[in-house]
Amino acid sequence: MDLTPRSAPEPKRSSRRVLPIVVAVLASVAGLAIVVMFLTSSIDYYCNVDEVGVREGCDDTRRVRVQGSVDEGSLQSRAGNTSFVMSFNGVSLPVDYEGEPGGVFQECIPVVAHGRIVDGVLMATRIEVRHSNEYEAENADRLEEAEKSACS
Amino acid sequence: MTTGTAATRVLGVLAIITTAWVVVSAFFLTPADVVQGDSVRIMYAHVPTAWIAYLAFVTTAVASGFSLVRKHRTLGFDRVAGASAEVGVLFMAMTLITGSLWGRITWGTFWQWDPRLTTTLFLFVTYVGYLAIRRVDVDPVRRARRSSVIALLAVLEIPLVHFSVVLWRSLHQEASVLNTDGDVRLDGLMLFTLFSGVVAFTLMFVWLVMHRQRLTALSDLERVVGLDAAISARRAEGVSGIHAT
Repeated sequence: MDLTPRSAPEPKRSSRRVLPIVVAVLASVAGLAIVVMFLTSSIDYYCNVDEVGVREGCDDTRRVRVQGSVDEGSLQSRAGNTSFVMSFNGVSLPVDYEGEPGGVFQECIPVVAHGRIVDGVLMATRIEVRHSNEYEAENADRLEEAEKSACS
Repeated sequence: MTTGTAATRVLGVLAIITTAWVVVSAFFLTPADVVQGDSVRIMYAHVPTAWIAYLAFVTTAVASGFSLVRKHRTLGFDRVAGASAEVGVLFMAMTLITGSLWGRITWGTFWQWDPRLTTTLFLFVTYVGYLAIRRVDVDPVRRARRSSVIALLAVLEIPLVHFSVVLWRSLHQEASVLNTDGDVRLDGLMLFTLFSGVVAFTLMFVWLVMHRQRLTALSDLERVVGLDAAISARRAEGVSGIHAT
């Protein structure tokens, strides 16, 4: 009888060992890509309307992101073109956008417009609605009225 | 063999009941928002899933800390850490998906490389990497040590994610509940439904983690038992060989 130790069989490179390494590498690459995309998008200065022409980087020499609220009565839509005036801290800026903004875009709502300022007008290529952190029931006023009348 | 106990069964039933209540309240009882309309209902899943993901990753860090510091039951803590991270990644994925849908309806875009969105995605990818690293090591002790260090570093991203809307100018709104000024900017039933969602998802989180860590324990046990069985088989082989001669 042979009781000498046998040599261990060649370990298989199972996919159970390789797959986690592949996923870990992909996660690292994805993490790097996320940081790069974030930094690239940050190249466009994020300015409030009242900072245009005042704060460094918020001028007509480069693409900017400008934040302000859409002025009441300023919104005009014609042949797929949207124009409006946005304001912040009492300073206004006309905006021209080829297309119709998505989301809950409307007057008196804060928006962020991406684009370049040409002759005092922001020629926007992208518009996003910036929702506030307040949540209010759609018919809150009517509910309150109804409750008051019911109690009086 | 089962991973269920009386406690997990009670937890499971409570999780189902509270989740059912959240669904009914979110879809049928809470009012639409004055600006967002019905899309506000996404919030009842989006916000709780984000909070539970934070909770899960903090649990992973705490369990990892214990796993590193303590001399006994270190593998038990490591299993809790791994299970919690898995559930956290699941919840974080739900946060990203629901947030993206809400963003399309409200902002007008599915995605924006905005500080809150970017840091959240980075957090998600970090924990996907963490889970991958956990599976590289077959030896549970080595797995516990390596992944504990990563978990303790990764958890530092959470304050960055939460305060990103304060630190940077962001398209994402600031917190409506856990904000710096302490004001709550939600109508009554909306707030109650939101907290119901937090309770429901917390119960679900605990239930999932308990089952998952027990499953990992069984899997580790199977490996040990398998090794013992192999040694016994080899011994038996030798003994039978002696008898044969």
